Parts: sequence; structure tokens; C-alpha cells
Amino acid sequence: MAGLDEGAPLFAQIAERLAAEIADGGLAEGERVPSTNELAAYHRINPATAAKGINLLAAGGLVEKRRGVGMFVAAGARRRLLEQRRAEFTERYVQPLVAEARRLGIDINELVGIVRNSSDIKVNDVEGDITV
Amino acid sequence: MTHAISVAGLSRSYRGHLALDRVGFEVATGSVTGLLGRNGAGKTTLLRILAGQEFPSAGQVLVCGASPAESDRVLSRMAFIREDQEYPDIKVSHAIRAASWCYPDWNAELAQRLLADFSLPPDRAVKKLSRGMRSALGIVIGLAARAEVTLFDEPYAGLDAPARQLFYDRLLAEYAEHPRTILLSTHLIDEAAGLLERVVVLDRGRVVLDAAADDLRGGAATVSGPVLAVDDFIAGRSVWERRETGSQASAVIVGPLGDAERARARSLRLALAPLSLQQLVIHAAARPAENTLEQIGA
Amino acid sequence: MRPLVNVARLHAIRPLMYLGLPWAITAFSLAVNLVIFGAGPVSNTHRYTGAASITFIFFLFMGVSSVGRTLPFGMALGVSRRSYYLGTALLAVTLAALDGLALTILQAIERGSGGWGIALHFFRVPYILDGPWYLTWLTSFVGLALLFGYGMWLGLVHRRWGQPGSLIFLAAQVTVAVAFVLLTTWAHAWPEAGHFLTTLPAAGLTGLLAVLTAALFTGGYATIRRVTI
Repeated sequence: MAGLDEGAPLFAQIAERLAAEIADGGLAEGERVPSTNELAAYHRINPATAAKGINLLAAGGLVEKRRGVGMFVAAGARRRLLEQRRAEFTERYVQPLVAEARRLGIDINELVGIVRNSSDIKVNDVEGDITV
Repeated sequence: MTHAISVAGLSRSYRGHLALDRVGFEVATGSVTGLLGRNGAGKTTLLRILAGQEFPSAGQVLVCGASPAESDRVLSRMAFIREDQEYPDIKVSHAIRAASWCYPDWNAELAQRLLADFSLPPDRAVKKLSRGMRSALGIVIGLAARAEVTLFDEPYAGLDAPARQLFYDRLLAEYAEHPRTILLSTHLIDEAAGLLERVVVLDRGRVVLDAAADDLRGGAATVSGPVLAVDDFIAGRSVWERRETGSQASAVIVGPLGDAERARARSLRLALAPLSLQQLVIHAAARPAENTLEQIGA
Repeated sequence: MRPLVNVARLHAIRPLMYLGLPWAITAFSLAVNLVIFGAGPVSNTHRYTGAASITFIFFLFMGVSSVGRTLPFGMALGVSRRSYYLGTALLAVTLAALDGLALTILQAIERGSGGWGIALHFFRVPYILDGPWYLTWLTSFVGLALLFGYGMWLGLVHRRWGQPGSLIFLAAQVTVAVAFVLLTTWAHAWPEAGHFLTTLPAAGLTGLLAVLTAALFTGGYATIRRVTI
């Protein structure tokens, strides 16, 4: 199973990976999403599992079906995913960071300084692009 | 018909030995199910009964809605590939030809392609084939038959890892293009894990687990690190196994782990690794009396 | 119908082996006979070698091997036991008719050529294969079918119950024969039995053999019903 692990249901992982691809710009809006069989063959998993993953995305409005042609990335999907990520950002990344810093005895000012120094990351607010 | 295979109360006993004990499960039409368990668990006996080659001592077996034994109608819709198949004194090409007569949906072109894929010489006598090549022949027949219900009993005996992967890939491709009901018995679970939608686990003739593979994934994990931290983390949880050496310990804990718990594990410097399907099955088989699904929280 | 045809085809996958071998052996044996007897001084004594029995013995072996490894192979390909048995039995009966006809024709040629020119009776067996051509054909047919059916039953007994089963099977037949002898002796019925046998025409014997053949095929069918592979 290319890139999938045993830690969570496969269909959920499929959905997550596709969502990540959309969020990162790898799959543009209006672009065709790999078919069930293509995903199944690539990841070496059951097509039903792949279909379940795609259906999960469809249920979330991130992809839509065009009859006879396939599944395509829905309009606004990327924006919605990035909004979701922003909402999770604090809980997922910042809180553990702060907790770990506290455990190591790094105070908040030192922490801010570390963050500033250690990154060449510029966040472009308008577009939501992340360039390194 | 929603269930291609339906087994209820199936028992099979031989002189003094109960090979199958009130086995019951169903296989949905068009799905891929793994029949798992240790050697001697009863997988082969079960499959032989499904294929009409062996008779039940008690219970009911239905394939495509009817009893398979002695039913030409049901048997023609079924392919059963077993690892110890007996062949008469014929060549590979003869075996392929014979199969083409007996399976209504046989695809000759696919058979030729698969023979080439597995490098099987058509003019070689079957009895002169190596174990791996005999298995490959069985696989070729099993796939080219395109039977509605296809049963595989550890069909990869003697095949090396690349050849096994070739089998899984061809099986997947065939299944994707021409869906059918597949029941695959194997003890190399992790290799086929991605293909299986459901797993039925046998242990000493009994069904100990019958669940969707995705329901099991992530259901248990190994946590390892410093002894004290491990014991702190696993306190109050269902534990399947605990080992320690010196100041390190590792334990297998059951039940889903949320993000907060994962973060806590990280903060305690503990490593978390999910149990593979194979490991889950082994643990479930070792605890037939417990309700594994419940513990996993599926 | 389809499964029955498939079974026949299954057996005939290697036709030379199955159909041609007995005749190859018979031809070879005939050649040997001709050489041996033809080489000696010309004589008018009729020599009966009856080596047509080769074909008969062969049918026994064919019966046994027809339920050898082809049976599990056929069943693996989805042929039911019933279809396998019927298909094989039909093939057996067809072969018995054809080979019986061949024996009849060869016997006619032999008779017409004066025993191949050397008064050799290879295909003619006194009493049994000695009458009009249609009786020769019928008797050969029944005899060949009988031996095939017996071989099949024996093979099936072996598959189902292994070596101990086969031994018991054979022992049972011996027991039946011995019981018959004992019964006849006890009832002082030997004179009647002897009279019956000596006045029985060849056609009557053929009729008895036909009944026995039917019994053998029935026994084989009963045995295959619960065979497992």
C-alpha cells in the first residue's frame, strides 16, 4: 500500500491524502481526481475502499461527480480546506509547541525569538500561499 | 442476492477431531474477504466444503443461494484454487484447455497473458513443474475463469515475494475490471491487507473475528519507551501484552487513541506504532473468548 | 449434458494414451505371435492364443485410472460427482462398443484369412468369442464394459477408503465366492449348477455378465456419491 499505513481506516487515509493534495495545490479546482480504479491500483488496495474515500470527500463537498466523466475537484474546495487547517493549526501545532517549550523551560519571549530565527517561512495572507 | 456465500452452524468433525465448530458468516456479493487463521485452524476444510469437495457434518452452506455439493449449476459459477491440487498426467496447455471448457466466462486471452506473466511453459508436464509453478498455474486458472465466486486457499505456495506481488496485482486488476466475490485464505495477511474489505478469522475451528478490515485498523497500538512512562500511559487501558527489559517497556493497548492521547504519549517520550492487520488478527485469535471488536471500539 | 461431454473430453486429453495404447499392444502381440508361429513348420493344428485378452485387461486398468488423478482435477474444475461418473461411464460404454466392434472385425479377418494363413486363433476364443459376429460384438462389448466398471469401482473404493478399504472390498468378493461354493456344496447342488453352466448358451452367459456389469456400475455410483478430495 503505497504511502498508507495501518494506523487508521484506509478509506479515511485516502480521503486525507486527496484533501492534502487539493490543499497544497497539487490538484487544482476543476481538475479530475484519480478514479477509484486508478487509486486502487496505485495504492494496491480494494477499489471499494478507494471509492469509500472518494465518497467521503464528495460528502464533504470537496469533489463532485460529473456524470459519465468522473470526479472533479469542486470550486472553493481548496479555500475550505485551508480554512479548516487554519482552525486546526492552533490545536495541532501551536499547543504542542508551547507545551514542549514549557517542559524544556523555554519562556515565551525566547520561544518567539526561536520561531522568528529558525524559519525562512513567509506567509502570504492574501493568497493563502506558502512559499519557502 | 446480497450474499454470495452464506454459512450457518457449520460443523465438520473427523474421528475424534472437530475441524469446524458451528461456523457462521456471510460474504457479500462482489466483495473481497480474507479467511485468516493459523495452520490447522480449519480454513482449508471450510473452503473445501464451500466448493462441494467435502461434506458438512452439520449446518448449512449456501453459495449463490443454493447448496454447492453436487450442483452443476452452482459449481460452474465457482472456481476453487487450492495449493495441493492434483493434476493428471497432462501438460500445462492441457490444463488450461480443460479449464476453458468448464468455466462459462473463461477468457483465453487473459490466460495466455498470465501464463507469460508467470513464465509458465505451456508444453511442460504439470507433474514436472516446481511447487511455485504449480501454484502459478492454479492462479492462472483461477483468474482466467472469471468465476462469479472465486475461492483461493493459500494459492501462493512456493512463490517468491515478487511473484506473490504479481498475483495480488493481477487479482486486484481483474477484480477492479470484472468484479466478483473473492474469498482468499492466507496467513501472509499483511501482504494482502490492502485488498481485503472484510476479514473472517478462524481459530481451532471457530470464528473468532468477523469484521471490516477498516474497522480494525488503528484499533490497537504498541506503545514503547521508558518503563515508568509506559506504565503511566497504559494505566486504566485494556492491555493485550506487556514486555520489559531493563528500563524500557512496550505494551500493546487496545482501543482508539485520540489526538490528545497521542500528544500525551509524545510528551512522555513514548513511541506509538499501530498494530498491523496481521498482528491484530494474531492477537484476536489468541483471545477467542473475548470480544475483540468491542475492545477495539469498532 | 455439457458437463458429461466435458468429462469425456477431460479423459481424452491425451487420446493416444487412452485409446491407442491397447491397440498398439495388441498389434505388437499379434506380430510377435505371427513371427513365432509363422516361423515354425507349417502345421494344421489350430493354435488358440486368445491374446485378445490384452484389450480386456487394459479396460480394467483404464477403469481404475479413470478415477485416478483425473477425478480430483475434474471436481476442481466444477464437475459434480454425478456428472463425472455418468460422463466416464458413457465414455466407457462407447469405447467398449467401438473396441468390441474392432475385435469383431479383426476376428472376421482372421477367420477369413484362415488364421492369418497359419491357423492362428488370436482373436477367436472358444465358446465365448466363437459364434456369429453380432454375438461376438455383444459379448466383447459387455466384457469390456464389465472390466472397466469393475476397475472404476475398485479405484473409487481405494480413493474413499484407502488401502484397507480396497483389501476389504476384495476380501468381500472372495467371501461371496466362497459362500457361494459352500452353499452349493451344502445344498448338494453341484450337479444342477454344472448342468446349468454347460447348457448355457453364449448369449445367456452374456446376459448374466450384463447383469453383473450393471451391478458393478451401480456399486461404483454409490461409492462416488460421498467421495471427498
